[in-house]
Amino acid sequence: MKITLTVNGDDYPLDVEPRRILADVLREDCRLTGTHLGCEHGVCGACTVLVDGKAVRSCLMLAVQCDGRSVRTVEGLAGPDGEPHPLQRAFSAEHALQCGFCTPGFLMVAAGALEADPTIGDDPERVHGLVESNICRCTGYEPIRRAIMRAAAESAFADPSGGGEEPAAGGRPEF
Amino acid sequence: MEQWARREDRRLLSGRGRFVADVAVPGCLDAVFVRSRIAHGVVRDVDCAAAREVPGVVGVWSAADLSGLPACAHAAARLQDLPPVPHTLLAKLSTAEAVAGREWPALAKDRVRYAGEAVAVVVGEDRYRAEDGAAEVAVRIDPLPAVVTPSAAADDSVLLFDGRSNTAFRGEAGTPIDETVWQEAAAVVEARYRQQLLMPTPMECRTILAVPEQDGRLTVWSGHQMPHRLRSELAALLGMPVDRIRVVVPDTGGAFGSKSAAFPEFVTVVYLAVMLGRPVRWIEDRLESMTAATRGRGQDQRVRLAADADGHLLAYELQIDADVGAYPHLGVGLPMQTAWMATGPYATPRVHASVRSVLTNTMVTYPYRGAGRPEATIALERSMDLLARRLGLDPAELRRRNFIPADDVPYQTPTGRCYDSGNYAAALDLALETIGYDTWRAEQTRRRHDPYALPLGIGLSCYVERSGGEPGGLHDFAGIEAHEDGTIIARCGAASSGQSHETTFPALVAATLGVDESRVRLIEGDTDAQPEGLGSFASRSAQVDGAALHHVSALLIDLARERAADLWGMPVEEVEWSDGSVHHIRDGSAAMDVAELVKATGPLSVDDRFESGMGFPFGAHAAVAEVDPELGTVRVLRLVVVDDCGVVLNPAIVRGQAFGSAVQGIGQALYEGIPYGDDGVPLLAGGLLDYLLPTATEVPPIEVKETRTPSPITPLGAKGAGESGCIGTPAAIVNAVADALQIADPGLLQMPLTPDVVWRAARATKYEGAR
Repeated sequence: MKITLTVNGDDYPLDVEPRRILADVLREDCRLTGTHLGCEHGVCGACTVLVDGKAVRSCLMLAVQCDGRSVRTVEGLAGPDGEPHPLQRAFSAEHALQCGFCTPGFLMVAAGALEADPTIGDDPERVHGLVESNICRCTGYEPIRRAIMRAAAESAFADPSGGGEEPAAGGRPEF
Repeated sequence: MEQWARREDRRLLSGRGRFVADVAVPGCLDAVFVRSRIAHGVVRDVDCAAAREVPGVVGVWSAADLSGLPACAHAAARLQDLPPVPHTLLAKLSTAEAVAGREWPALAKDRVRYAGEAVAVVVGEDRYRAEDGAAEVAVRIDPLPAVVTPSAAADDSVLLFDGRSNTAFRGEAGTPIDETVWQEAAAVVEARYRQQLLMPTPMECRTILAVPEQDGRLTVWSGHQMPHRLRSELAALLGMPVDRIRVVVPDTGGAFGSKSAAFPEFVTVVYLAVMLGRPVRWIEDRLESMTAATRGRGQDQRVRLAADADGHLLAYELQIDADVGAYPHLGVGLPMQTAWMATGPYATPRVHASVRSVLTNTMVTYPYRGAGRPEATIALERSMDLLARRLGLDPAELRRRNFIPADDVPYQTPTGRCYDSGNYAAALDLALETIGYDTWRAEQTRRRHDPYALPLGIGLSCYVERSGGEPGGLHDFAGIEAHEDGTIIARCGAASSGQSHETTFPALVAATLGVDESRVRLIEGDTDAQPEGLGSFASRSAQVDGAALHHVSALLIDLARERAADLWGMPVEEVEWSDGSVHHIRDGSAAMDVAELVKATGPLSVDDRFESGMGFPFGAHAAVAEVDPELGTVRVLRLVVVDDCGVVLNPAIVRGQAFGSAVQGIGQALYEGIPYGDDGVPLLAGGLLDYLLPTATEVPPIEVKETRTPSPITPLGAKGAGESGCIGTPAAIVNAVADALQIADPGLLQMPLTPDVVWRAARATKYEGAR
C-alpha cells in the first residue's frame, strides 16, 4: 500500500504492507532507528513517538494508519540548527539514562506533554503520571522525573505566557 | 561536550545510538525460532514442508533437517552438524561432570525440557516473512509429566535425562555443624525461604547478527557482556581459528548479568550464517525473552541460626535446593555463590552451607544482578530478625553485637571467603541515622496502640557481597596508546551495557596521566581492536578494568620517561612526568608533551594483563513499610541504602546504579515472579502485564548514601558497585512487612509479597508478645 509519512518534517513516500507496525516502518523503511522496540505489546513505551503531536506506542499502530499524518521521533527533537531540546539536556544533566534503550520513549512522552502544556511542571503529579507510563530498568525513574521537571521549568521560563497558545500539531518545539 | 554529563548521552538522546538491531547489513536474513509450547515431552514430528513454501522464507530447519544441509559454504569453518550449546566453566558456573551425558541441543531433537525450547528455525527476508514461515511449522510433541520446583524434581520420580538423577550438582562451604551446638544453644530459629525465579529483563532483549565476510572471516555483532568469551566459544563451535572471528558489542540496552553466554539461539544463528554464507540476525522479542531467556535466583532454602542468651551468634546453617532449569550448562554451580557468601557480615564461629542443584522443566538459571548474593543475604537477614524477636532484642542491636569488627579485616570466613575490607557497623549506623530509626520505632509503638492506624514495620538488611570474579577470572587486559595528534587511546576487555565506561574510564586515564579528559578516548567491545579481554560481569569493570587502565597508564608514563631519557641522553631517574609531559627534573628547557615525544621517537603504546583480588563491597539497607491488612497491600514509606564500594570513580554514576539496583530489589521483594501451571508452562500470556516490573508508581522515596572503605586488593582501591540494591534491598522490605504483621511463621511471607500473600499473612497467628 502506498502511503506518505511526514517524519520530523520530511516526507517519506513508502510502499508498505498494511500489517507493518509504525515502529518497524520508521526503523527499517525510513532508517530512523532511534525508536526502539522494548516489548512489542504496548507495555514498556520504549517505542513511543508523536503522531500529530500525541504520544502513541508505535508498536501498537500500523504505519498505514499514519498515512498523511505527521510523525515525530527522537531524531526530530533537536532544533533545526542541532541545538539540543531542553529535555535532552535535562536528561543528561540528571543522569536520566544509563543504557539509553528506553530513553527515546520517555523523551517523546515528555516532549508531547510539554509541548501540549508548557506549564505541566507546575503540577508534579502530572509529571509523575508521565513517568509512570513507561518502563525503565536502569535508573529507577527518579532521575527521569527530575529531568522532566527541570526541562519543564526551563520551558515555562522560556514561555512566560504560560502556554496559553495551542502548539502547532507535530511542529518543532518553541525554544 | 560540557553540555552532556556523559559521553554516551549525545548519541543516546538523539536517536543516534547504535544497537545491534540498528545495524543495517544488505541482504541480512531474520531468524525466527519455533518453540515448544510444552514444558516436557517427546518430540514426535517437526514438519517444516509447508513453511518452506511461504513467500519470503529462505529456509526452515528442524534439528534433523540441519544435519542434511549441504557442505558448508564458509571456507574457514569445518562443520558437520549443528553444534550443541557450550557450558560455562567461568566462576565454576558449570562443571564437566554435570554436563556429561546431558547435551543441550541448540535445537531440540527428540526431547523438549522446558516450554519455549526451540525445535525449528526459520530464516526469511525479513522478520515478518520469517514469522509467517514459523506459523506454518507443524510440531507434534507427546507431553511427559513436568516438574517445575526443585523439591518436586529432587525425588527423581520424573527424570529430565533418562537414567540420570535430576540432581546435577552438590557442593558445600564450611564444616557441618554438630547437633549438640543446636541442642545447647539458648536460642535457635529455623525457617524456610523461597527465592523465586526472576526475569532479568533488560529493556533490549538478546541480539546477535552474524556476517560472513568476503575474506572468510566472520563478524558477529551482539549486545553482550563478554565479547572475547563469545568469540572463543563460537570459534570452538565452528571449528574456526579465534582470529578469524571478530565480535563487536555496540550499544547494549542493559544486561544485568544475563547477556554473557553463548545461548542456543546464538549457536543456531551463527551456524546458519556460516552454512548459508549470508548474514543472519536474531533480534529477540519480549515474548521470546519471557519464554526462553535465562532466569535468575530460584532457590528453596532451609536455615537454622543459633545464639547464646546474650545474642552472640553460635552457628548458622543454610541448605539450598536450587532450581537450575532444564540444562546444567550455565548455572548448575551458581548456587555456590550463595553458599560461599552465607557468612554475611557476622563473626559467626560455625557456618555451614550446602547446595543441591536440581534440574527442572524451566528455562535455565543464570546470573542475574546479584547472582547468588541476594539469596545469601535474604536468608541470613530474615533469620537475624527472627532471632532478634526470639531473644527480645532490637534487630539493630543484635546485628551490632555480631558484626565482624573492622579491626579483624581481612577476615577469613568459615565459608571460605577472605573479606578484603569492611566496616559493617559504620554502614548500619549511617543507615539508621539517615532513616531516623528511633523516630520510626516510636511511630510504630504509637500505631500499635491505635486501633485505626495501619501497621508499620521497620526492616534492616546488612550485606557483604563479592566483586571482581572468582580465582582464575579476576584479571583483564588493557592497553594505552599515545598518538602524534595528542590523542590517547585507552582499551580494555570490558563491555558496557549502560555503565558509562566511555565517560568514566577516559576520566580515570586522564587523571592518571595529568592530561585533559578530551584527549582520551576509550575503545572496548571490539575483539579486533582489543585482542584479549574478559568482560563486564561480577561488578568488575571499575575494580578490575579500572585498575588495569590505571596500571597501563602508569606503565605508559614509565615508557615515556625512558624514551625521553634516551632522546636527551639523560639517566631515566632525571626525567619526570607531569601533566602529560616529560621534563628534566632541573633543566626546564628539556620538556615535551607526550604527543611531541611520539613524533620524535615513534609510537608509544603499552598492553598488559592486570589481576585483581576479590573485593567484598558491603552495606546496610533500611526500609519502613506500612501494610493494609484488609487489602494486603504494602506501601514502602522510606528506603535508605548505604553502600560501600571503596574508592568511587564517578559518584553520580555509582549513585545512579545504586538507585536503579534498589528498584530492582523492590521488584523481587514485592512484584516479580513467574507463575507456572501444573503442566510446567509459565502463566505469562499477558507478557509484561503478568510479570510486574516496578514502574515509577512503585518507587518509594529512596535515599542513597555511602561509606568509603578503600579496598587493598588493587592500587586503585575500587570495589564493585551496581548490584547492591538487588542484594541488600529485598530483605529490608520483607523484614519491614514481617515486622509490621508480627506473624509467628515467617514461611508465610514468601516473595513476591503480593496482596494475596500479605492478606493471608495478615490473618495468621501473631508471634508471642505481639501486640
